[in-house]
Amino acid sequence: MTDQPQETTESPKRQHRLHPLKKIEIIVRGEKEKFVQDLLEECGATGYTVHRDIAGRGAHGFHEGRLLFNDRAGLVMFFAVGDDEMIDCVMDGLTPLFEKSSGVMFVSNTQVVRLEKFLEEDEK
Amino acid sequence: MSIEISVLRGRIENAAEAVGPLWPLRTFNSANPLSGFETLPFDEAVQRAGHLFRGRGYPSPTTFRHAWERGAIQPNLLRDRLKKHDITSKPEETLATMEANDVPSTAAPSDQRLNRLMSKWLAAFFDHGQAAWPMPNRADGFFASWRILAPFDRDIPGIRQTSDLPSTKLDAFIEALDGVPESEWETIFTHHLAALPGWVGLIRWQERGTAKEWGKAKPITLGGYLAVRLTLARLLDEPLLPEDATANGRVHPDDASLPAIWLSAWEETYRQGLLDDLATSAHQPTKETGRPDAQLVFCIDVRSEIIRRHLEATGPYETHGYAGFFGIPMEHEAYAPEGEVGERVKACPPIVDPRHRIAERVAPNRSEEAERYNGWAGLNAARQKLVKTLKNDVAAAFGFVEGSGGLFGVAMALRTLLPHKIYDWIQSANERIPRPSSFTEVTVDRDESLDEEDALAVGLSDQVKVVYAEAAFRLMGWTETFAPIVVFTGHGSQTPNNPFKSSLDCGACAGNPGGPNARVLAAICNDSDVRDALRDRGIDIPDDTVFLAGEHNTTTDEVRLYVDEENPPVDADALARLRADLTKAREKAAAERVGTMDAQLLSDPSRETERRAADWSETRPEWGLAGNAAFIVGPRRLTNDLDLDGRSFLHSYDWRVDESGTALETILTGPLVVGEWINMQYYFSTVDNAVYGSGSKITHNVSGKVGVVQGNGGDLMTGLPLQSLYLDDDVPYHDPLRLFAVLHAPVERVGMILQRQDTLKRLFDHEWVALTVMDPQQDNTLLRYEPGGTWASVMSDDRTVPELLPEAEPTS
Repeated sequence: MTDQPQETTESPKRQHRLHPLKKIEIIVRGEKEKFVQDLLEECGATGYTVHRDIAGRGAHGFHEGRLLFNDRAGLVMFFAVGDDEMIDCVMDGLTPLFEKSSGVMFVSNTQVVRLEKFLEEDEK
Repeated sequence: MSIEISVLRGRIENAAEAVGPLWPLRTFNSANPLSGFETLPFDEAVQRAGHLFRGRGYPSPTTFRHAWERGAIQPNLLRDRLKKHDITSKPEETLATMEANDVPSTAAPSDQRLNRLMSKWLAAFFDHGQAAWPMPNRADGFFASWRILAPFDRDIPGIRQTSDLPSTKLDAFIEALDGVPESEWETIFTHHLAALPGWVGLIRWQERGTAKEWGKAKPITLGGYLAVRLTLARLLDEPLLPEDATANGRVHPDDASLPAIWLSAWEETYRQGLLDDLATSAHQPTKETGRPDAQLVFCIDVRSEIIRRHLEATGPYETHGYAGFFGIPMEHEAYAPEGEVGERVKACPPIVDPRHRIAERVAPNRSEEAERYNGWAGLNAARQKLVKTLKNDVAAAFGFVEGSGGLFGVAMALRTLLPHKIYDWIQSANERIPRPSSFTEVTVDRDESLDEEDALAVGLSDQVKVVYAEAAFRLMGWTETFAPIVVFTGHGSQTPNNPFKSSLDCGACAGNPGGPNARVLAAICNDSDVRDALRDRGIDIPDDTVFLAGEHNTTTDEVRLYVDEENPPVDADALARLRADLTKAREKAAAERVGTMDAQLLSDPSRETERRAADWSETRPEWGLAGNAAFIVGPRRLTNDLDLDGRSFLHSYDWRVDESGTALETILTGPLVVGEWINMQYYFSTVDNAVYGSGSKITHNVSGKVGVVQGNGGDLMTGLPLQSLYLDDDVPYHDPLRLFAVLHAPVERVGMILQRQDTLKRLFDHEWVALTVMDPQQDNTLLRYEPGGTWASVMSDDRTVPELLPEAEPTS
């Protein structure tokens, strides 16, 4: 996780402004999809993207689902963007999970144009 | 003390791994009660779980004795195994040692009072239409609705009003966990969740989000359960972690070694017998049989093997095995008269989410039959409603009993004394009243006009139809020789007054009959556009081949075909011949099965199965999947000369048409995993029926229409009833053996798949399932998978001394 301070930047050519936020990417087994969904919602993520049935190699070997007859064996990947508070909350929930289940999360700085899409009502 | 709610959520999720989900009775699914322990080797898992659930992990000495005395355990094999563990005593002596050591603990758990209190509230909350006066405020969630009513419960001390209780779930945790470090939470949560694995399993099922309507009306989470339970523990002044939960009750590894050795010798005896048969069969020259009159595809279910064998012996028929949901991940909407909504049920395996809604709609020119059915169904619904109202209404109940007692008494006497007559009556009623399957068609085509918000799309797109049809034939390795009639045959059971009916229906259809799925695949395969697309992909189905759907009644062994009788789509004579042969096969299959239930009743076996199908007091309508012990993946020619005794799942597969291994990979990660769930449910329900099964049916009570309890309350029972597994109280009919997978495929291909599929490999490495490959590229040599990833050759003359082969090369 990188922690460089970021400031709102304005594009010299355009009228729009870029706002700093954090992005979290989470990869878990299919059977934990519901847990991550609930966690993101509870932590105030205004939205997220899911990729199902992805493949990859990790400490526990290669994982690949065969979607046709098993929705649980594959890996799913979540993307979500939000402020520090939301990201911290998600990390707090995933840290204990990863003590027992396989999975990874990556947090990085990112920038968005439409800030209001990524913050809860009372934070705007 | 402050608690981060997301940390709490993570810890609860980890703790919940110990308890597997439990499906409600309506869609009872087989599941390994120890699924949360599959990350551990089997021997270690049963010990850990044994401590947590107080259940036995191996067959009892009595069960071993029965197996030993009937010769199911080969003495030489057992002696060799004992010797390997440096045990020099004779088998009989070790059996006597096990019997002497077998003193089951009967002490009740110290927090039994808490268990009873929780069970009472959970039963009220989960009620699904059984209670005349349901618990109020359930839409607010378990904790909130309990909090309002708790002050009225005299069993809860120290509470006078709602405000005496924590106002939120989080507050409840803050109060309960005050001063407890986070590192101890999981142990505490695990104990409290594992204390009631039935109710907690049901909460886990609901948390998965598959029952959206239910979840909205009665939301309950493990967090809500724990918040109530930890609050009650505090009020009852019980410790957060009772002493009997923390004491190191794990059996010393040496104590478990004898049962483990006996179990493996028993398994090996069965497996060697099977491998001998398969090896003999594999080396027989292939018979050229030409084009069969009909081909029937049955579910891989072990019960299909019996009817398949008898049908093939009756005439020029060929059978195949495929997962009984026929590869269609669907939700089935039963027919309902216009203006009403038919019941929607999931009709695919527990590890697959449905993706399409398939509804039954009145077929063209069939409205007259539909009207007749509607009239009857309306009358029946009104009668049921009236009876329920009269029974539950305080004022009407007395008069109702007075007035109708005689009538009900006669009906009861008839049902009890003349169940055959009841069967005949049902049959004749079925002939007079049209069945929905005879006047409806299924919405196979994509129909956007029927779509609803927040529901699955209705029907299948053209592209998806081709995918499902191709998958079926590729997985079965069936790309040529199609008979004029091909029948996809689902299966379902017939049994009245049986809360466990779902456990006898098709496990691949979420505990529902598989007929509707068979209808969908048949309709897809009759579609000429689908056939054109299949032809482009190398599967050339001749124009004269017609696909039909049917359903195998596993209680009576009747196979009913869904055919438009007035306008049959196939040659009427051929159809009549097939039906006549199905009847002959039925009689032989019924005789074989009745012989295992009560050999004295063999004078008219078919009639006996009919009685079992209609008798409301019959505790054993059929054996279900009892006996299951092997999972064979390969062409039917490998097994069609063998009597596999209804103990093998049979999945058709042809290694020659699956070079990439995709079909085999799909079979191993899908149907085989479901087979393991079923096998483990039968195993654990047999080795400890009181803990992992559901005890005797005689003392069952249905709770809230969702589960059964023993007697008047307590935890939901999680597994199969005694009568589904045992001949009597002590003698099991089901041999509790772990599943043995035999694959007819190149060993390199299997090795490659295991490299890619870590979860699957783990099942073999941890010995939840055993694996042997018959390699057609090495003259059908048998190779046994050894935990860790090596292959040992299984020698036919001396199978107990394997020769180690190098590990298959990883390819990814």
